[in-house]
Amino acid sequence: MASLPRVPAADGAGVGLRAPHYRALLERLPPLAFLEVHSENFFGGGGQPLAWLERFRREYPVSLHGVGLSLGSADALDPGHLERLAGLVRRCDPCFVSEHLCWSSVDGHHANGLLPLPFTDEALDHVVGRISAVQERLGRQILVENVASYVRFAHSAIPEWEFVSEVARRAGCGVLLDVSNIHVNAVNHGFDALRYLDAIDAASVSEIHLGGHEAAGWGLIDSHAAAVAPDVWTLYEAALARFGPRPTLVEWDAGIPEPDVLLGEAAQAKSRLARAAAAATPMGEP
Amino acid sequence: MSELARLQRTFLAALRGEGDGELAPHLIAGSHVQACLCVYRDGMGAAWHDELADTYPVVRRLVGPDFFREMAGRYGRSHPSTSGDLHGYGDRLAEFLEGYPFARGLPYLPDVARLEWACHECFHAADGRALDVAALARVPQASQGGLRLGLRPWVRLAASPHPVLALWEANQPGRDGAPDELRGAERILVARADFVVRPSPIGEGQWVFLEALAQGQTLQQAVTRLRRRGLHETFGELLMACASAGLLAGPTGFSGEGER
Repeated sequence: MASLPRVPAADGAGVGLRAPHYRALLERLPPLAFLEVHSENFFGGGGQPLAWLERFRREYPVSLHGVGLSLGSADALDPGHLERLAGLVRRCDPCFVSEHLCWSSVDGHHANGLLPLPFTDEALDHVVGRISAVQERLGRQILVENVASYVRFAHSAIPEWEFVSEVARRAGCGVLLDVSNIHVNAVNHGFDALRYLDAIDAASVSEIHLGGHEAAGWGLIDSHAAAVAPDVWTLYEAALARFGPRPTLVEWDAGIPEPDVLLGEAAQAKSRLARAAAAATPMGEP
Repeated sequence: MSELARLQRTFLAALRGEGDGELAPHLIAGSHVQACLCVYRDGMGAAWHDELADTYPVVRRLVGPDFFREMAGRYGRSHPSTSGDLHGYGDRLAEFLEGYPFARGLPYLPDVARLEWACHECFHAADGRALDVAALARVPQASQGGLRLGLRPWVRLAASPHPVLALWEANQPGRDGAPDELRGAERILVARADFVVRPSPIGEGQWVFLEALAQGQTLQQAVTRLRRRGLHETFGELLMACASAGLLAGPTGFSGEGER
């Protein structure tokens, strides 16, 4: 579809593309390394949504980020959903295809949310098999994203960070590391976020997500309705120091601000990526 | 059943308000477990409500946001989502409203919902291929009656004994909700042009003709339906008008199909 670089540079920053920004971004074509859309928003066969997507695809690498495949569900994979995703992948040649490491449906009923998995051997085996099936159907590697969570299961036997890295190792998928979600979970469940980063294999991390959260009386909610918080920027710097620069995307899904506010967030990520890239370049090399 | 399936079933039941008690032993107890579960429960309700509000803005404006929120909650309990793609959610709202006791005073509401669902489907539909007029012309006249034409994927029909199009128009952004004139029964064509979906009133002949094609009837059968209403002499005119508006697809059902 396009002769652009298919994959954003490791030190590239992008934003989640949402409908209120379509016109402004197309008029200005800001210097972003990539854009990311929710795959399901383009599952219709045609019309304006796909036309917008194709116009953006001519200007930027585009990442498809799914919210509904329900990778961790005990149900069978929904063949229609997977078929529509495969069709969209063929149509827009995305730089990444990602899904969440969670579940959202059982017995054919969907909660249309990102529900937490128990971190057990059973769930690990199950989700590894499902990711492999999806990768086989799509004929490409997918990335899986760690999700924010608000409850923990009594029979979870594996720390979340080990679960995530085992999934990636065994399924051969990449990790879309959501640094904000690590911070949210560290606060909600009382663990050390740096320990989480240390457990993840750097080679598996293909993309990083950042988004805003909000405080509730009992902890943090990953709302994507605010600017990235200072604590998360600090954790992001630690992640870049640990993994090196990785294409980074800022998400903002509710109370969507003016484009400049979101682009300002991406610029903040970009400046940290540039520092990380410079630090990763040995002396004397350009 | 696997442990995972059992846990997920219990979890979803708790979100749907069908028994938090069974989920409790599976969770690490904290003083805020209920508030934390509410993040998931509220998220599910908000996703469903917001999808309905996007699809049915006129219904929402007619009943007001509070009524709509309550209705969305009850619809969600009786028609839970069955797909990870929310664009199909809300397909049965019109039937739900027919039996919704609190909407009894608004007898036109289900038909307004039907019209909005038709608009929603047309917005996302594939472009589809237009009627191959040249192929149609090559079919011997004697065989043309047996042809089946179809409608493009972005074409829908709606009809109501109520002036639902007038209500729809009056409740578009920038309008004050007061219809220009309260017409009676309406036949409506919903179609997309340049990515914009517009419903418009159509006459009886066009309605009968397009409905026959949408139902997979042959051209001869469409003529028969028109004849019953004394409208068969308009057939050629209707065919040409609908074809030139790009509404038609096909043809199928003739031996020359697929030939160059």
